Amino acid sequence: MSDATLAPPPGDSRLAYLRRRLFSTWFDGIVTVVSGLALLWLITTVLSWALLDAVWSEENAEACKDAAGACWAVIDARGRLILFGLYPYEQHWRSALGCAIIIATMGLSCWPAMWGMWRLLGLWLAGFGSFVILLHGGVFGLEVVTSEQWGGLALTVFIFASVFVIGMPLAVVLALARRSNLPIISWMAAIFIDTVRSLPLLTILFAAAVVVPFVLPDWAQGTKLGRVIFGFALFYAAYQAEIIRAGIQSIPKGQEEAAQALGMTYRSTVLDIILPQAFRNTLPSTINQVVITFKETSIVTIIGFFEVTASASAAVGRGEWGAYYVEVYVFVALVYFIFVFGLSRYGAYLERRSRLSHV
Amino acid sequence: MSEPAIYLHGVVKRYGAFIALKDVSLSVDEGERVVICGPSGSGKSTLIRCINRLEVHSAGTIKVEGTELTDDDDAIREVRREVGMVFQDFNLFPHLSVLENCALPRIRVRGTPRAEAEQIARRELERMRIDNQADKFPDQLSGGQQQRVAIARALCMEPRIMLFDEPTSALDPEMVGEVLDAMVALAEGGMTMICVTHEMGFARSVADRVVFMADGRIVEQAPPDRFFDSPSAPETRRFLEQILGD
Ligand SMILES: Nc1ncnc2c1ncn2[C@@H]1O[C@H](COP(=O)(O)OP(=O)(O)O)[C@@H](O)[C@H]1O
Ligand SMILES: [Mg+2]
Repeated sequence: MSDATLAPPPGDSRLAYLRRRLFSTWFDGIVTVVSGLALLWLITTVLSWALLDAVWSEENAEACKDAAGACWAVIDARGRLILFGLYPYEQHWRSALGCAIIIATMGLSCWPAMWGMWRLLGLWLAGFGSFVILLHGGVFGLEVVTSEQWGGLALTVFIFASVFVIGMPLAVVLALARRSNLPIISWMAAIFIDTVRSLPLLTILFAAAVVVPFVLPDWAQGTKLGRVIFGFALFYAAYQAEIIRAGIQSIPKGQEEAAQALGMTYRSTVLDIILPQAFRNTLPSTINQVVITFKETSIVTIIGFFEVTASASAAVGRGEWGAYYVEVYVFVALVYFIFVFGLSRYGAYLERRSRLSHV
Repeated sequence: MSEPAIYLHGVVKRYGAFIALKDVSLSVDEGERVVICGPSGSGKSTLIRCINRLEVHSAGTIKVEGTELTDDDDAIREVRREVGMVFQDFNLFPHLSVLENCALPRIRVRGTPRAEAEQIARRELERMRIDNQADKFPDQLSGGQQQRVAIARALCMEPRIMLFDEPTSALDPEMVGEVLDAMVALAEGGMTMICVTHEMGFARSVADRVVFMADGRIVEQAPPDRFFDSPSAPETRRFLEQILGD
């Protein structure tokens, strides 16, 4: 293998190249054949289960009993419960529209033309504002649906987006505070970050949901959902702050000195010189942390929120569809995959973009 | 008598117990060109970094264009607007294009509208003969080109004083010339300059005065002819023998 090259040398045909890469010794040949067969078996099995032998849409569970493949009928029958949770059935359009608005807001803020403080602020105020008005109601003749009843995908997406939008600016502030020249400030930031990082997310969310109401006066409590989102955002911010701090430390001292020597203010040095480089240097770990956060939203189930994984288990939990939990979880996994894959592709795009602007 | 552009009196810089500058006094007139040389570790960088307060001096007085450097942030920013600095390793902003490296600080510090700032940036890049690279990014350029961009960036602030800290030391030998040429052109334009450099040809042809430092002190200062031909201090003679000896 030592003489293997990654790119076919000029003049080498594709076939000869493949032969050399895959069958260069008899051992390589056996590995190639065995893993090729295993892959083939896996693909055909999954495909025939998921597509060829599957039952797509039936009125009841009977048709699925004899089928060899997947029973996607369960999604047909239970899909709305999975996607909307406990949200009142007649009002599902509000949850769907709210979910679409949040997704569109996230999509728009991924677009470089939107990257300005005021533009992003306006976008997110509008996005969150219309989401809350739609889902909560009480105005424009919409009946009130309290946040305890929000659920499914809309809730997952809303929690994730809020955690990110609150947590990211907080992370920047924490990272800068931890590097502050004033010992009291850097010390407080360090204690905060290290404390939050030493606690399990579950503990923080429990504290936010259950303990805080005993501590704070009524007017400062907000809703349970609001407290949980805030606790979650603190958790995300603590980790993201350490990522940003590492990014800042990887910038040569000369960058800050050059900015100072030019007479730039601290604010401008940080916003124009330090942070853009810190984010660029830590893009892979930032994307990683965001993906983890998205997946961790499922943990809010435990304190009684009906986000998408919880509504999925409710969908199969009782009665006739109980046998088809695999299909339901595959469906939910697919929804997660779409988001997470989208995020990581976007991360790859950002890396390519930042490399283009400095190679 | 008009006030000197730069005035240092009894300046001391301590790093913990170590004393990097020991009672340094120096005065540079408007339009004067001063070259500072001396062995490595003698405090040359520390001295010029005190002039724009990248280092905070421990004792003594520093005045730039009549403004004394104290803890007053406004005074510090005022001084930094008037004093451009060029570093040994360029310190261009890698995430910004060449044009943006020059225009952005101008916009942020002097509040110049973008269109005008870009015009100024192009003018200074042209002066450094590097305007054809305006849309590239710093690491697409050679060391000599990067250093000329760094000079242009400093000039965009339209400073009255320029500080150079060994601007050619990090360059491949074949690129030293282009940067020195740019500095000579600047000197001919009447800029007040302090250059830390060991380029003795440059010192001889451009400097009004050569300052020799050793061990945190100014040992000797003289016009270039006298400095090179009849140095008085033994340390200076030893130093000159070392760098001119080969
Ligand atoms: N930040 C610092 N902390 C401690 N010592 C320093 C620091 N910066 C410089 N020094 C010391 O001060 C002395 C002078 O340094 P410098 O001004 O960089 O010398 P030069 O530029 O003449 O080579 C050196 O001995 C150096 O080790
Ligand atoms: Mg030095």
